[in-house]
Amino acid sequence: MVYSEECAIIFRLKGILEFACQLDNPNAGSQSQSTISKSFQGLRSKVSSKNIVFTVCNSPILIWPNTGFQSSMESLTEASACGDILQYIESDDGGSKKTLKKKDKKRSGHTVVNLKLLFEVTDPAGNEAPSLIRVDTQQHCVKMPLHLDCVLSVTTEESLASVCTGLVETLRKQLAEMEEVVQRYRKGSSFLVPQPFHFQLPEPAGLTTVIYPAGVPDSQLQAIREDLHRKFELPSDRPYLRRANAFHFPDVAYKDGYLRNPHIHLNPPNIEDAKLYLVQGVYIYHHYMQDRVDDDGWGCAYRSLQTICSWFQQQGYVETAVPTHTQIQQALVDVGDKEPRFVGSRQWIGSIEVQVVLNQLLGVTSKILFVSQGSELATKGRELANHFQTEGTPVMIGGGVLAHTILGVAWSENSGQIRFLILDPHYTGGEDLQTITDKGWCGWKGPEFWDQNAYYNLCLPQRPKTI
Amino acid sequence: MGRSYFVDETVEKYLGGLLADPGSCVTGFLAGQSSPQRDFVVLAVQTPQRESEGQLKSSRGSGPLDDIDVEWVTEHARQVSRMLPGGLCILGLFLVTPPELSKDAQNTLKRLIFAMDKCISKGRLWELTEEDVTDRVTLHICSKTKKTVCKTLDVKDPKSSAKPADWKYQTCVSSSWPMLTCSVEVDLQIPLTGSSSDNTDKCMKDCLTRWAKQIEAGNCLISGRQALDDSELISAQKKNLKTTHRQTFPARILVSDEQPELDERSSALVQLCSGSVRVRGVVHCRAYIHNNKPKARHAVQAIKRDIINTVSSRVEMFLEDLLISEGSRKGLCTGQQALPRRVFAPMPFSGLSVCDYMFPDESTADVADRLKEMLDWETPEEDIDISLESNQLFSPELEMTDSHSDDSRKHVISEVQVENPHIHKAPQYYAGVAVAATIALLATATSLLYFSE
Repeated sequence: MVYSEECAIIFRLKGILEFACQLDNPNAGSQSQSTISKSFQGLRSKVSSKNIVFTVCNSPILIWPNTGFQSSMESLTEASACGDILQYIESDDGGSKKTLKKKDKKRSGHTVVNLKLLFEVTDPAGNEAPSLIRVDTQQHCVKMPLHLDCVLSVTTEESLASVCTGLVETLRKQLAEMEEVVQRYRKGSSFLVPQPFHFQLPEPAGLTTVIYPAGVPDSQLQAIREDLHRKFELPSDRPYLRRANAFHFPDVAYKDGYLRNPHIHLNPPNIEDAKLYLVQGVYIYHHYMQDRVDDDGWGCAYRSLQTICSWFQQQGYVETAVPTHTQIQQALVDVGDKEPRFVGSRQWIGSIEVQVVLNQLLGVTSKILFVSQGSELATKGRELANHFQTEGTPVMIGGGVLAHTILGVAWSENSGQIRFLILDPHYTGGEDLQTITDKGWCGWKGPEFWDQNAYYNLCLPQRPKTI
Repeated sequence: MGRSYFVDETVEKYLGGLLADPGSCVTGFLAGQSSPQRDFVVLAVQTPQRESEGQLKSSRGSGPLDDIDVEWVTEHARQVSRMLPGGLCILGLFLVTPPELSKDAQNTLKRLIFAMDKCISKGRLWELTEEDVTDRVTLHICSKTKKTVCKTLDVKDPKSSAKPADWKYQTCVSSSWPMLTCSVEVDLQIPLTGSSSDNTDKCMKDCLTRWAKQIEAGNCLISGRQALDDSELISAQKKNLKTTHRQTFPARILVSDEQPELDERSSALVQLCSGSVRVRGVVHCRAYIHNNKPKARHAVQAIKRDIINTVSSRVEMFLEDLLISEGSRKGLCTGQQALPRRVFAPMPFSGLSVCDYMFPDESTADVADRLKEMLDWETPEEDIDISLESNQLFSPELEMTDSHSDDSRKHVISEVQVENPHIHKAPQYYAGVAVAATIALLATATSLLYFSE
């Protein structure tokens, strides 16, 4: 995770351009290729023409980047710092949500300015009245919308003119990359739609855009990813470039209604000399009563398992959905761990069952850590710290009569003091972030949190070494 | 509470001056602008005579009201509605009758209004919104007493009854109405699936409808500023300028290539086409808005609708004309053919303008003849402005596969041999001809062909 010190702005320009071409014979390789090329050439000219307009979303600002920089706002000229745009943008929520958003901004270090690409139709080159031109040859007419999505990461001091030139250049480059993908995956008259994905890669690459063909699953794009990993010098055991790992823009809300990473809204505990070792990436908070399943009193380990499964899904290691209680139970029956009547029951499961299911449904292996007394957990700082550093996956802990998820530790190597970041699956309320953080359903706990006399088993899922 | 119609004095003069044979009726339309609070009438024109009418009167026995040719009245209204710039439309009809027929006048007016509305709204490429006024005015004038009865009918509800309305005369109703203008570049590539000319018409209509939606959804700037929310068109400071000078506001339209029906696909839409049609050129557009605290968004709507109407009208007229001159369903020939050009002329009495469409082999004299026929008004040829859209240049190098080529187009100004030269019959087409009925019938048939769903 990179905490950027300087104030960075991400300009995100989205727009739709229609790709259209007519092919006489789609199976004639080079002829079709050059026709397609010509159409893309036309689109590149279009974005370089004086008719393109950038509109800044949620503001009255319009900019014509290709006509010697015209803007609809007199106070914004080509020499203005691009940060000046921020004062004209209305944010669409207020109240308590805003304070939460400010915290998020500090953590992500990014402000996003959204722009939309438009075309002016009222500044024509001539004034020739319209004609109708008819052509009578049999042709294959191809049409698809190209969803352009360009990003430019700059400091607030950068001039507006250079931001606009940069965006136009990025548009042209994206069209060229889209052409490459379209040509590569075309089979006769079947064209796959090119889709842009953004990835936050380690410096110096930074925020990078990759074009993938729609409809081709990640598993078939392995070779492309290997090439890109080499190009960007990325380690070959982390799936940086899987679609699920696309950069999540801080201003875009998730549509499924679940809460993700509620822990980022917490203040770390105040222990001298302690370092934080936290879960890496994104997980979803699963808890009692969700999805209209009443598992109050027996489902806590199932929910912890669901949180772990969500981690593997969100980081793109698996494409399957998070399993339901029934599916979890069925998996245990399938491997012979439980009798068939287990399915549909309200029986508890423990860390061993979690390990078995992770292996059966996700192909994920896990390490089991046994602790004979709750009080011993305070001594497991180093092991947990190591786990979060190398694997970074959430940990399921079961013991006594309860199951929880450990999302990280704050541990001081010198004093041995330790705090546990706990995600509690026993919460029965709705997806209310305020309640969850205020009431400690996601919170930092001390060693006294554990039943000092009970024994505990921890399931530490291992991250697969793939891209 | 009834509607209020503010009518220009010149309309009063015109209506008063209508000559009718004793015992007969005169019909005509009323045009102007509707706003949610009140309506403005700036033009009244009687239905032109059909040449064969002399013979008809003696043959029918049931009475002058039944003699009224509903088709002819509505056809006149339909063709005139193409001549009205944005913001203006046909608001209703008037009927002058002798005193003995006054009691049946309302029924006749009701029949005429509904028929006219149906005729005019066919082929419209934009949808009415909730704010659009659906009341149409009917004005009945007794030829002897000159007494007027003004009512409105809601065309949305055929079962509704006429409601009383106010009819007030005023001077210079539209003299300071602001005008919006723009020139819009159109470049539509229409693939043709299937080979019959019915299919061609449907493909063209679908494509034009999609383009119309893009225009409707586009951002509009008036005098460089976007029309947001409920803001007024003319800011408070400018309002104080008490001049009769008409303000002109240039409009700019920004669109995006949204295609919601193709969004969910992971592959391109590929169709086998028998050919394609391209509509390419620049259209000049104009719209007027009343000056009673107009909202910017109404002005925007008016200019957008004018843009859509002018393109669809021309294509419609071109196809209608083709049908008449060719007779059979031969359809469009290959190559480039010019669509009619838009020209502007002053509207009778008010300072607003009307437009007309001039085919390539026509002259301003032909336009003047049409204006006389349609609007009962003499227009000197020098008042007809043909400079806003220029003649098409024929370029044999226009390829189908170059989309959005850059500005350095090489023009070769040479005549391309077009397979069937446009056989034009200007006055014959628009006015009564020996076979007046055939024209009306053909026009209706074309509308059905072109726009039947």
